[in-house]
Amino acid sequence: MLAQQLVNGVLLGATYALFALGFTLMFGVLRVINLTYGFYFSAGAFLSLALTRQLGLGIWAALPLAAIGAGIMAVGIDWLLLTRLRRRATAELDSLMVTLGGVLALYSAMTAWLGPDIRRLPPGLVSADSFVIAGVRITTAQILILGATLLLVALLLALMRGTRLGLAIRAMAEKPDAAGLMGINTARASALVSFISGCLGGAGGVLIGLNFNAIHPYMGETMMLRGFVVIIVGGLGDIRGALIAGVALGVIEVLTAGYISSGLKEAVAFAILVAVLWTRPQGLFGRAVMRRA
Amino acid sequence: MMRRTLAIALLAMPALAQSQPVMAQPIQVGAIEILSGPNAAYGVAIKGGLDLALDEINAKGILGGRKIQLTVEDSAANKDQAINAARKLIGRDKVVAIIGPTLSNEMFAVGPVTNERKIPTLGTSTTASGITEIGPYIFRTSLPESDVIPVTLKAAQARGVKTIALMYANDDAFSKSGFDVMKAAAEKAGLSILAIESFGSKDTDFSAQLTKIKSLKPDAIGLSALVEPVSGVLLQARSLGFGKETLFIGGNGSNSPKLGEIAGPAADGLIVGSPWFIGKKADNNEAFVAAYKAKYSRDPDQFAAQAYDAMKIMAGAIDRAGAAEPEKVRDALAKTDSSGVMGPFRFTEGRDPATAAGVVVLVMKAGKFAVLE
Amino acid sequence: MSIPPWLDDLLWTYQNLIHAMGVNGLLALSMYVVLAIGQLSLGQAAFMGLGAYSSALMTLKLKLPFFVVLPASVAAPVLVALLIGVPTLRLSGVYLAIATIGLGEVLRAVYLNVDVFGGALGLNGIPERAETWMIFGILAAGITGLWLVGRSGVGRAMEAMREDPTAAAVMGVNVPRYHLAALVTSAILAGLAGALSAHVSSFIGPNEYGFEPAVTILSFALLGGIGTPIAAVAGAWFLTLLPELMRDLPQVRLTLNGVIIVLAVLFLPRGLLGWRMGRKAA
Repeated sequence: MLAQQLVNGVLLGATYALFALGFTLMFGVLRVINLTYGFYFSAGAFLSLALTRQLGLGIWAALPLAAIGAGIMAVGIDWLLLTRLRRRATAELDSLMVTLGGVLALYSAMTAWLGPDIRRLPPGLVSADSFVIAGVRITTAQILILGATLLLVALLLALMRGTRLGLAIRAMAEKPDAAGLMGINTARASALVSFISGCLGGAGGVLIGLNFNAIHPYMGETMMLRGFVVIIVGGLGDIRGALIAGVALGVIEVLTAGYISSGLKEAVAFAILVAVLWTRPQGLFGRAVMRRA
Repeated sequence: MMRRTLAIALLAMPALAQSQPVMAQPIQVGAIEILSGPNAAYGVAIKGGLDLALDEINAKGILGGRKIQLTVEDSAANKDQAINAARKLIGRDKVVAIIGPTLSNEMFAVGPVTNERKIPTLGTSTTASGITEIGPYIFRTSLPESDVIPVTLKAAQARGVKTIALMYANDDAFSKSGFDVMKAAAEKAGLSILAIESFGSKDTDFSAQLTKIKSLKPDAIGLSALVEPVSGVLLQARSLGFGKETLFIGGNGSNSPKLGEIAGPAADGLIVGSPWFIGKKADNNEAFVAAYKAKYSRDPDQFAAQAYDAMKIMAGAIDRAGAAEPEKVRDALAKTDSSGVMGPFRFTEGRDPATAAGVVVLVMKAGKFAVLE
Repeated sequence: MSIPPWLDDLLWTYQNLIHAMGVNGLLALSMYVVLAIGQLSLGQAAFMGLGAYSSALMTLKLKLPFFVVLPASVAAPVLVALLIGVPTLRLSGVYLAIATIGLGEVLRAVYLNVDVFGGALGLNGIPERAETWMIFGILAAGITGLWLVGRSGVGRAMEAMREDPTAAAVMGVNVPRYHLAALVTSAILAGLAGALSAHVSSFIGPNEYGFEPAVTILSFALLGGIGTPIAAVAGAWFLTLLPELMRDLPQVRLTLNGVIIVLAVLFLPRGLLGWRMGRKAA
């Protein structure tokens, strides 16, 4: 049973990490609490639903298209809500507030338009079979999530460390004013970060919607609290940290539910969060995160 | 600016209520349902059932040709907004009776207010225990879980179930109350309870709880939660290797056509006790299902069916009361003896449904409920 | 002098709304106290829950009279504020916000899992003991008290901390002590709000004091503006009335609610009432 529980934990943790990747990037680089992130997650899932149900696309076509769609939305919403706030002295509070209002409007508009029902992607989009390896069961969708999470982490790290764009983004995360003075087009770099975050959120929505078979307008909202825990424990903007923190959170939650009490599952996540904040508020994996990303 | 708008709105209210002549005046009935936010699906189904019944009632008229004006207020599943809605319906719209609210939690907040004002209040979807104990003006047409679950467990025992594990959502009143009933009923029926596991009603991952339960090999798993998490549990149970040897037993929350839509074949074999089911062979039920499909182009669920009957029960009570006065409507409501799509209906002394005779045990087959043979 | 029946009816109809305005006003003040010194602490909903649950239990289980229950209801929130206050003093900005939201979620798990709190069913049948005049009396006292503090030298120190904590510390302001004092005051106000609301609405449940209410309370103060306590209260009143004014538009109500918040933040950067506290000889 322990082996299965550990696998359950890693898989759950992979979904947390997948959700948190774009969130931590947005948070770490743009330095604002952007509560609209969860909406891109829902939007990606709904886009994939339309693409697969109405246009009959397969998962390999629908996944990138939905991700790009969510990314474009992120850029648009970011531009509408946040550009004029960046210059303000109280940008942190104001952006929290404006994205709070924005996300309320977006979720409820989406619910009014599409209805509150739970939907699912067409059955058979991914094989529903599960494999049994050494007594441990795992499904195709779960393997897909695990693979996608690792792949996206690798791609993001390569982008951040190995490209000029990555350098510009890291410079911006460190010192936005200085980056501007050094000739980095910060407006364009912010838009790109929004786009990438939106794409990651959208892709996460598709994959997690596929795994749990449940797509509904508020699905992103329900992930937000776990998302906060992961990005704080992992360190803001720390991509590797998000992966480690996500998986650790998943494993701890599953072990708590499996061996102590399922009622405590959620409380443990937040107890860890509070403990980490008290002892290492810069996240478990150090500070000045984007420099090392 | 805001203050002035409010002042004008406040001043306009009493004037509006008095502007129409008495004869043409429709009878004011209110409903409080969840029409927005994440739980809107329940309220929308209920409103669908109410509106459908209202069409039929108003085509004939009651109290000698008067129509019912039904004002449906949104509670957004928020306690304060539900109370505000009740106060608005009573104080401003002068309703003679209120149908709803949707959730048991909301009823615990709204009931004391309507009861204090002696406005008969009819819950159609509130299954928690203690609802009608709020006061003599609080009624419900929804069968409490304690009437349904024992019937379901009996059917399970007939199929050889001796051990059971229970799973429930511990953060909403409906699921928790259903679980309490399920636990008591299982003990009373002599089933041995191997494990009790909880989850959050918005959770999507149940693998830890299911893996633990699987290692204990119970004959059955009892589920008390709303349809969304129940679907999630079933889907995940199948991928963790639960097969036909484990019987899944649902509470009232599982009794929704959405279970088949969301969980698909994973839900096959689940049994649930229900006061109503869509394929019930009765003329009035077939007519109801056809009319509902024609009006909304989707299948009705039990919430819609319960609401449809409740609207008719309320209209019947107002008609028998002889006048649109809350006190008389309450007394007439208590004497209800009608027959709807759910079957024959009367209230107990405690204003709960009198009979659980109509309860059938359903089994999920290929995404649809059928009567368990 | 007797009240005419239509006015009586009108007051009855809007009684809950009027109570909610008072309670939310107190919550906005509770938020204002910490925001005024630049602390983004979001524990108000958690403190409110502690006040609500502890007072309801005192009334229901211990059968204490309300004049004992109401003052005693601040004990639990203050205790927790002191408990979390000391270690979280070092935190700022986003970290503090999330730590305090975490507190609310931990408490929610406690309410759900410990039997005396009634689990998901919450506590119901709480007698209606709080009167409208009590709520508004406490609110008025809170506004006046905070106004007086704001106008004094303490207020200047608070503003200095908000604008630049380092400079304030250099100039001799004991920043940690102010932070703790603000947190405790915030806990007292929220605890009272919780006790009052529990004793007007007859039912409390575990899901009323989590993440969403925390964010709503923040939006009260931010929308109104944090220059003065009265502005924060005005923000609360506006957001409390907004859904009721839009009752006839259920489909678009939440959407409009969100859009109004967005527009207010974008175009009214200092809040709806953006003036600052007048102070003698600045």
